[in-house]
Amino acid sequence: MKLKKGFVLREVAGETVVVPVEAELNFNGMITLNEAAKVLWSVLENETSTEDLVKAILSEFDVDEKTAQNDVDAFVQKLKGLDFLE
Amino acid sequence: MKRYYQITDLIVEMDTFGRTERQAVPYLADGVQKTDILIDSKWQSFREKFPFISEDESEYYCSAYSFYTQLVDFNGMMLHSSAVVKDGRAYLFSAPSGTGKSTHTQLWLEVFGKDVTILNDDKPALRRIDGTWYAYGTPWSGKHDISINTRVPLGGICVLRRGDVNKIEPYRGVGAIKDIFEQAPKYTNSDYVGKLLDLLNQLLCEVPVWQMDCNMDPEAARMSYAAMSGRKEN
Repeated sequence: MKLKKGFVLREVAGETVVVPVEAELNFNGMITLNEAAKVLWSVLENETSTEDLVKAILSEFDVDEKTAQNDVDAFVQKLKGLDFLE
Repeated sequence: MKRYYQITDLIVEMDTFGRTERQAVPYLADGVQKTDILIDSKWQSFREKFPFISEDESEYYCSAYSFYTQLVDFNGMMLHSSAVVKDGRAYLFSAPSGTGKSTHTQLWLEVFGKDVTILNDDKPALRRIDGTWYAYGTPWSGKHDISINTRVPLGGICVLRRGDVNKIEPYRGVGAIKDIFEQAPKYTNSDYVGKLLDLLNQLLCEVPVWQMDCNMDPEAARMSYAAMSGRKEN
C-alpha cells in the first residue's frame, strides 16, 4: 500500500498538518498527524506493508508489538476511509 | 484598458471594468514601471461554468482570486474577515459567511464612534513585512464594498461564533489552525498551499488569536476590544 499523490505536509504552530490539494482527493480541509501518524505517513510515501509499518513504530516508540499493530491498523483504516491510499 | 495600481504595497497590473475598476480607483498608481502582480482573471472561462453570474461579478470574483493567490508569493494572504481599526491597530473578525462578522464590527462603530474605521469588511489582505504583520484594505471587499486604501499593524485575529452569552478567550491548537485555514483562499496548487501553510505558521506564532462567542449586544464589542487590545474601554 502507498499514499496517493497530491498532499502538502507542513508544521503549523506546533502541529503537523496535511492538506490534500488534488481534486481527486475528495476531501476539503486539513487533517493533523500525531507523532506516530507522522512516522507512518512518511513510510507510506513509498510502497510498504503493514509489517513494515509496525516495524517503523517499534523502532521509533517504546511500545509493545500489539499496541503498534493496533495503531497501524487504526491509522490505515482511517486513510482507507478517506480514500487516501492507492 | 491596462492600468497600474498599488495594492498592499505591491504594484498590480490589471485590465478590468465595472465593479473592480470602480473599487480600484483609490489604488491607481499610473506611471510606475514595474509589475509585482499581473492579474489575468480568466473570468470568461469562469462564466462558462457559472453563466448565471453576471460578467461584472465574475470578473470581480476572478480578479480577487488571482490577486489573493499571487499575494502568497509576497508573504501575504487574504483572511475572510471583517477588519476594524482602533488606536492604530487592526482587529480581524473571521468566521464562515453568515455568522455575523460585519454585524460585530458594526457594533464597534456604534460603541466607539469616530475612533473606529472599517479597513475592509470581508476580504482584507495580511502581509508580513520585516517581521511585522500588517492588515490592508483592497479593492475586493465583499457585498458592501467597504474598504479603505491603507495599511495598519495587525493587533489580533478573532474567530467568531454566535452565542447567547458573550465570551472571549485565547485560541490555540488544532482548532485555531483549522478555523483560520478554512477562511483563507482555497488553492489547488501544492506550491501555493505550501506557501500559505508556512505563512499561517508564522501568523499563528506571532499574532494573538482569540475565539469569541457573541450576541448582538453592544457589550460584545466592549468585551472583544478590551480583550484584544489589552485596554479597558475608554
